[in-house]
Amino acid sequence: MIELEHVVKTYQREDGTPVPALRDITCRIGAGEFVTIRGSSGSGKSSLLNILGCLDTPTSGAYRLGGEDVSRYTDQERSAVRARRIGFVFQAFNLLPRTTAVENVEVPALYSGGDVDRGKALALLKRVGLAERSNHFVTELSGGEQQRVAIARALMNSPPLLLADEPTGNLDSAVGDSIMELLTDLNREGLTIVLVTHDERVASYAARELLIRDGVLASDRAQPRRPSLHAATEGAAHVVG
Amino acid sequence: MSWARTLALALRTLRRNPLRSLFMLLGVAVGIASLVAMASVGEATRQETMRQFKRMVGTFDRISIQPGSARTRGMPSLTSVEPTLRFEDADAIRAEVPNVRRVSREQSAFDIDVQARDKTATTSIWGISAEWMEIRGDDVTVGRGISPEDVETLARVAVIGEDLRKELFPDEDPIGKTIRIAEVPFTVQGVLVPRGAGPGGSSLDNLLLMPVSTASKRLFNRDYLTTITVQLEDPARYEQAVAAITALLRERHGIVPPVEDNFTVSNPRAAMEQVQEVDTTLSAVLVGIAVIATLIGGVVIMSLMLIAVSERRREIGVRRAVGATRADVLRQFLVEAALISALGGIVGVLLGVAGATVAAFQQQLSPVFLWGAMGGAVGLATLIGLVFGLQPAWRAANVDPIQALRA
Ligand SMILES: Nc1ncnc2c1ncn2[C@@H]1O[C@H](COP(=O)(O)OP(=O)(O)O)[C@@H](O)[C@H]1O
Ligand SMILES: [Mg+2]
Repeated sequence: MIELEHVVKTYQREDGTPVPALRDITCRIGAGEFVTIRGSSGSGKSSLLNILGCLDTPTSGAYRLGGEDVSRYTDQERSAVRARRIGFVFQAFNLLPRTTAVENVEVPALYSGGDVDRGKALALLKRVGLAERSNHFVTELSGGEQQRVAIARALMNSPPLLLADEPTGNLDSAVGDSIMELLTDLNREGLTIVLVTHDERVASYAARELLIRDGVLASDRAQPRRPSLHAATEGAAHVVG
Repeated sequence: MSWARTLALALRTLRRNPLRSLFMLLGVAVGIASLVAMASVGEATRQETMRQFKRMVGTFDRISIQPGSARTRGMPSLTSVEPTLRFEDADAIRAEVPNVRRVSREQSAFDIDVQARDKTATTSIWGISAEWMEIRGDDVTVGRGISPEDVETLARVAVIGEDLRKELFPDEDPIGKTIRIAEVPFTVQGVLVPRGAGPGGSSLDNLLLMPVSTASKRLFNRDYLTTITVQLEDPARYEQAVAAITALLRERHGIVPPVEDNFTVSNPRAAMEQVQEVDTTLSAVLVGIAVIATLIGGVVIMSLMLIAVSERRREIGVRRAVGATRADVLRQFLVEAALISALGGIVGVLLGVAGATVAAFQQQLSPVFLWGAMGGAVGLATLIGLVFGLQPAWRAANVDPIQALRA
């Protein structure tokens, strides 16, 4: 599903000096995988995720998503890719203020060219365990609830790929664990997930871990899933939609 | 994103940010309200001036000739004018100038005391030709006007204005009653239809008309005129008529330029145009002020939008991340600006109508509303929103989502 070849990202400081954030990244991520990208602060995780999410383009190298080289797409074409094929979850939740939970979930549908399906948005909220909170304004929700709304929003256009940048970074560990369990369930239902974290504990939820150090992939290893977490959700329903 | 959905989203955003929306709306509404009010007051003033002017001078097909140079000011009175304008001048104009329909000879005097039995009043006296009332378009409510026979026979008859009637004959029929002027008795034979107020608000109904022959020979004992009024067949050719009258009177009075004329030929159309010009300038100033107010409304929209854009950077980032194009964001902000401005325009029109009504009431004008222009005002408000919303919307469209979403 994802193929990166010799991807380089070099930022330009104000004074013109180059800042190499990604030096030479080559990797593949298959459909249905749950991968974490782990590394210390400033190692280039977000830079990599922004490229994967078509928010940014590599300075050089190729990024193929589902076989298409999207690294040379125009801004408008990348918008369309984001609308239909990628869901985002952020550390800071980034829900729209003065907007209800269900309205937040609907936002991506505004930009996918189709109809806004309120029923689907409500079903997604139910899927993340917030059926009762649909018409609450986001300021009335806890951090964990807000992140669940954000996950439902990321799924609104039924994208095959979900990208998450430190999704538990603003949550205490118990709430963070529940979010990770939700993501694990979604992955088991077929969603491809790439998750960025600096936290080993969070990374341990995924089957595969990419370690990034100074803009270079330092290791790429499979790891056993945490068995205790999956027993309860074995054979869970498909992701809504 | 479809237009309908963009509009719905804009409405929701405006509704959920009531304070900001209110200020944006008021910014535009104040400008549009002043525009509507100024335009209405200006138009009401213009129409009222025109009405008053018409009331004062009658119809616009007339030329008036008065003694003295153009520098002479004020209404000509027998006691103040040079004795240069003669009855024979009027006869010559009638006989020799083409395009002349009627000529009236007039002698006027102001502040004359008149008595009817035990009552006394002060009025202006007009000795006139029989044509005078037709030229002016005046008529009587009761009795009859001054006839050619009255002029012929030097009849001691009077036609009085409504103010004078009220003063001298408050509860009786004035027809057939006697009015004494300097001990000369006159019989009232008619009362004029009230004309109302002239420019400046003074009444035009305090006057007494009599045959000019009677005035000249039996009352004032003067053989010169204070005014000759000429009515034209074809008002469109008044310039030629003015030139012909001027040439004729110069010849008769033995005046060769550069010697100054001892008479003044004027026509109400020119005077009217002058009045209107002053009026138009005034309206233009008022409208100019209102346009500035409207532009200030635009600046209010722009500043509040710019603040909103920086406050909403994160929202913009989210929308871009989930698939909004730059064009989507641009359109969203533009539609918000246009929508709130249009609403501001509607509120402004309502406020303006209210303001103009109050102003008209205070000025004792009848309010004039240019409904077409009000539709235009709402359109203008929308345009202002679009124009002044463009820069903030452009800025919103170019927010870098990566920067905006950074935790
Ligand atoms: N827009 C930018 N301009 C300049 N330097 C940047 C920019 N974004 C990131 N960087 C730099 O690139 C490096 C990688 O950043 P980032 O990908 O955010 O790391 P991480 O998410 O792992 O903390 C850091 O040194 C950071 O300072
Ligand atoms: Mg980061």
